[in-house]
Amino acid sequence: MNAAEELKQAMPAAVVSTGMLIDKPLAIIKKEEILKAAGKVKEMGFDNLSVITGIDYRDRFEVIYNFFSYKKKENLVLKVVLDHEAPSVDSVASIWKVADWLERETYDLVGIKFTGHPNLVRILLPDGWNGHPLRKDYDMETEQFVTMGEDGEDIVSTDGSNLLRRR
Amino acid sequence: MDSVTIDTTKIKPAKKKPETALEKLNDTGLINTLLAAREREGMILFSTVDQFINWGRFSSLWPVTSGLACCAIEMMAVTMAHHDLARFGMEAFRASPRQADLMFVAGTVTKRMAPRVKQLYEMMAEPKWVISIGSCANTGGPYIESYSVLKGVDNIIPVDVYVPGCPPRPEAWLYGIIQLREKIKSQGYGAKWGLNK
Repeated sequence: MNAAEELKQAMPAAVVSTGMLIDKPLAIIKKEEILKAAGKVKEMGFDNLSVITGIDYRDRFEVIYNFFSYKKKENLVLKVVLDHEAPSVDSVASIWKVADWLERETYDLVGIKFTGHPNLVRILLPDGWNGHPLRKDYDMETEQFVTMGEDGEDIVSTDGSNLLRRR
Repeated sequence: MDSVTIDTTKIKPAKKKPETALEKLNDTGLINTLLAAREREGMILFSTVDQFINWGRFSSLWPVTSGLACCAIEMMAVTMAHHDLARFGMEAFRASPRQADLMFVAGTVTKRMAPRVKQLYEMMAEPKWVISIGSCANTGGPYIESYSVLKGVDNIIPVDVYVPGCPPRPEAWLYGIIQLREKIKSQGYGAKWGLNK
């Protein structure tokens, strides 16, 4: 029995289905139950949340949590399916400290709201950037430029005349 | 196994060693300046001073310590003993742009880094030169269709020498530096008047 089936046995109401994802046990979780499932995963002996990713499938968003156990040398993947209009899911930053930055990155690039996150602001792109670049409907036509303000803060605009050379 | 003996007398040196005074003068390149100056009376002062100043400039180019991405790792390899940047008088990487006269744009220039790179360039004192290293800094490279990468650093600052590669080998890097030295040699008032040819 792999870790995903263990999780399904422990909390059958939360796990929708189990399977394998690239040789890793996969469990699809109801989005209301992700906080409880993340706590349960920690009790099961997983001690590392490697990465959180978000994927845009045009009709839905998926958030994928990759766990690893250094003691048991095991992987576990949790997946949450969100609707495309207003994707939001509970933050697991209260249980997994590392999720703070990982969720900020997912918010920054894919635009998924993590409710209950202590500081949900952009982490890679500057504040004021228009759109979330890893979405399929991101506008690639309008180029955005960053300039520096008086105190070194980033100012985002589509007007690059302060930055670009006059030719 | 038979030992191989090499007759060293049959090996010719690639370049003849200058012996006479005229050959020595020709070897330094000064003879061209003198000949050009003889045709235009009285301008020998400028041409020789230019040559002297240019010699000083290209012999002690001090780059500013700035790296943007993986090309900066290659920059460390260039400065290490094997490739030895010090033989060009460039081993003094300055931590302040105010003490530097050369900037390597080594790596991906992201939109967020672009104003910082521009400010770094503007803080450098004249005369100053820029070498753009690698595909990313030249054109955007693999990130040409990215939302967050500038399509060539020459969009924001003037560039003297472009070195292609991803990242360029240290040999390519050194070749770019030699090209910049050639460019500096041809600068100055004498060059404008056609004396330092």
